[in-house]
Amino acid sequence: MSPGSDSEPPLLHMQGITKRFPGVVALQGVSLSLKKGEVLALMGENGAGKSTLMKILGGATQPDEGEISVGGKPVAFANVRDAKAQGIALIHQELMLAPNLDITSNIFLGNEQAGGGLLRPLNRRRMRAQAELLVARVGLQMPVTTLVSQLTAGQKQMVEIAKALSANARILIMDEPTSSLGSEESEQLFKIIHQLRSQGIGIIYISHRMGEVLELSDRITVLRDGHYVSDLARADATHDAIVALMVGRALSHQYFPPKREARTEETRLVVENLRLPGVPTAASFSARTGEILGFAGLIGAGRTELMQAIFGVAPAISGQMLLEGKPYWPRTAREGIERGVYLAPEDRKQHGLVLQMSVAENSSLPNIASYARFGWLDRKTEQEVAEAGVKRLRTKTPSVRQAVGNLSGGNQQKVVLAKWLAMNPKILILDEPTRGIDVGAKAEIYQHMADLAGVGITILMVSSDLEEIMGVSDRVVVMHERRITGVLEGSGLTQLAIAGLMTGRPANSDGGSQAVAS
Amino acid sequence: MLSALVLMCLALWLSNSDFLGISNVINTTRQISMLGIFAIGIAFVIITGGIDLSIGSVVGLTGVIIARLTSTATGGLGYPLWVGILAALVVASLVGLIQGLLITRLRLQPFIVTLGGMLLLRGVSQTVVDGGVISMGKSSLLDLASGGLFHVGSDPLIPYPFLMFLAVAALGTYVLHFTVLGRYIYAIGGSRDAAEYSGINVKRVETLTYVISAASAGVAGICYAAYIGQMSQQVGVAYELYAIAAAVLGGCSLRGGEGTIFGIVIGTAIMRVIDNGINMFQYKYTDADGIRRIWRLNPNWNWIIVGAVILAAVILDQLVHMIQAARSIREAGARKASGPPTGGSPKSVEAPAG
Repeated sequence: MSPGSDSEPPLLHMQGITKRFPGVVALQGVSLSLKKGEVLALMGENGAGKSTLMKILGGATQPDEGEISVGGKPVAFANVRDAKAQGIALIHQELMLAPNLDITSNIFLGNEQAGGGLLRPLNRRRMRAQAELLVARVGLQMPVTTLVSQLTAGQKQMVEIAKALSANARILIMDEPTSSLGSEESEQLFKIIHQLRSQGIGIIYISHRMGEVLELSDRITVLRDGHYVSDLARADATHDAIVALMVGRALSHQYFPPKREARTEETRLVVENLRLPGVPTAASFSARTGEILGFAGLIGAGRTELMQAIFGVAPAISGQMLLEGKPYWPRTAREGIERGVYLAPEDRKQHGLVLQMSVAENSSLPNIASYARFGWLDRKTEQEVAEAGVKRLRTKTPSVRQAVGNLSGGNQQKVVLAKWLAMNPKILILDEPTRGIDVGAKAEIYQHMADLAGVGITILMVSSDLEEIMGVSDRVVVMHERRITGVLEGSGLTQLAIAGLMTGRPANSDGGSQAVAS
Repeated sequence: MLSALVLMCLALWLSNSDFLGISNVINTTRQISMLGIFAIGIAFVIITGGIDLSIGSVVGLTGVIIARLTSTATGGLGYPLWVGILAALVVASLVGLIQGLLITRLRLQPFIVTLGGMLLLRGVSQTVVDGGVISMGKSSLLDLASGGLFHVGSDPLIPYPFLMFLAVAALGTYVLHFTVLGRYIYAIGGSRDAAEYSGINVKRVETLTYVISAASAGVAGICYAAYIGQMSQQVGVAYELYAIAAAVLGGCSLRGGEGTIFGIVIGTAIMRVIDNGINMFQYKYTDADGIRRIWRLNPNWNWIIVGAVILAAVILDQLVHMIQAARSIREAGARKASGPPTGGSPKSVEAPAG
């Protein structure tokens, strides 16, 4: 299977890689090796450190500690060019192509082979001829003069691979290559991967899709929380074994607030046959009063879009919603807010807060009109309300006049919560509420969420962190590829059941779902 | 845009046959040439997605430097002409280099850096001429603007600025469309990340575009000094806006990644023909009393017309883009709907952010 013999040094060896970011250790002594003609799958939950490790290998970031050797020789990459020179090509999830240039130009971008300075002429004929060969090699049936902006996602992927091949890549890193591909395009990609493997190219394959990983890879390396966990040979790898390694640690119970007793059965929000733009299937679920309803799934499973439709910022096409028994159909965020539905977005810094503005100014932003008296902003009331919010959530800030950008992630998130709490929400949607927040602050946020649910607020929480979903939610809606694949509660709510549903594998009790895509 | 230009010329010629008269044609050509030289320069910046507001001031500054150094009239220092021209071009290139380095190394916004450059250099020009005017006297430089090849009477059929413009356009076409540098400039404008990840030294290329932009403004400044014959700090005010407008009319997007030298040449011609046409346009009619009258555009409308043409051009362009985008989405939707149902689970069309 792998032509590299044992006497030969591995194509790639990474040893003891450590990378620290302010406040977080992204990677702690991680090791990885790759042989010639081997497909290595790199698996782990979101935030396990896969992307950081691959950025280091691609030269986009530098490790704080650790060694990398290619073909037995130690190397150090100061930038992307250094890594390329060693034959390492990284194919990003969001493809890195210039849409305004044609296929040929993109394949040879940065590698025009003209020798000498910037003012040398382009040898278009030779580049076109070579591009035609490369494009044929990856099975792309398009004239090489086609603009990249006119290609489908799958075709762009082929161009990226051709580009890597043009630079004589020996090591190819693919980050979620099928996340934007249809099934036929995926099949085509797998064929090419098999072909490249037989040509001795080492491939590191990052994917959340279990079916693909089991089908393609010779070996699987699992990371968890920035640590190396284990290697699995293909023979030993099963869906459950991988998920168990990925999820790993036992849940630490003191971390999460104690589960509350089941309260009223009263339904607050009903969503029926909600269709979103570009999504083939309709979504239906309901949420009860004072409940924390978790939404589990992989990145890109369509959870954020669903939440945006409920909030009104990206309206749905058809279907119906009932809020406290009355029809609810928001077409703008304003209409959602007027009915008491609030969203704390995933990207706090971009959508949730204005970083340059103070805690108080951010708190009053959504209903600034109610602070105005004869057109003058009532700063005293603004300050009082903001201070109440700071007190209620124990936000650590020197004063409510402090710019939000100076606070830590956890405290920023508290400002977002306070902003909505000041308006007595009926439904509070939290999209990835603890992303980028350190462990201590997380526990505090969880406690606040439990308290809010306790006073009757319905919380819809989107999270890609399984542990968080398990620890906080009363019930869990699981989504996979833009469909709801299951709703779990009570004894059916287990990590394995969620992990199965979110990777497209049916849980034992759920006969409706079909096998994994690939 | 080319057809718009031809139509405009045709209409002007029909309304006033003097439009294609020899002296008007030569004068308009000269105007097109001088604007075109630095419109091509700024296009390099615009195609990478940047902006350069300082070039009008660079045009003025180079003229002022030449006048100050070489004029034999009052206020001039009387150095040989070549010293003045060399000094002016070196200063212009240095201005571009400094602005480029500020923008790329300190990650300052091009708009602010070049706005600062625009005001600062305007002030430098004013200081050099001490707030007044320096005449070029009888400098041989004046022949650059008035002279040319193939004289018809006193007018040269091909003015020297036009030759310089052709040379700049040819050089620009070569660099932008046929060299590695040109390819990089388009790539940076199309996707800075893609360029960066392709191993392109993005900062160096960007810095270079600001040097090209300022140097071309320097060359144009020499022509303007020759053409006007006396330099004050007023020369070149708002020229950068003319150049940007010409580039945009010629198909450049301020988002970067689009535009051709040929398009910019056409855009420049349109800008200058509009200017000229406002003076030339006339409508002959016979009024109720049988008296022949001529109706002309009010010269006060000059800026209204220029502004309206620019807005109309970009609005049209955007509408075409939006219609195309809507159509391609509809077509994609239709393909999806009519396609056979796939056996597996539904596939996402694009990658949404979780």
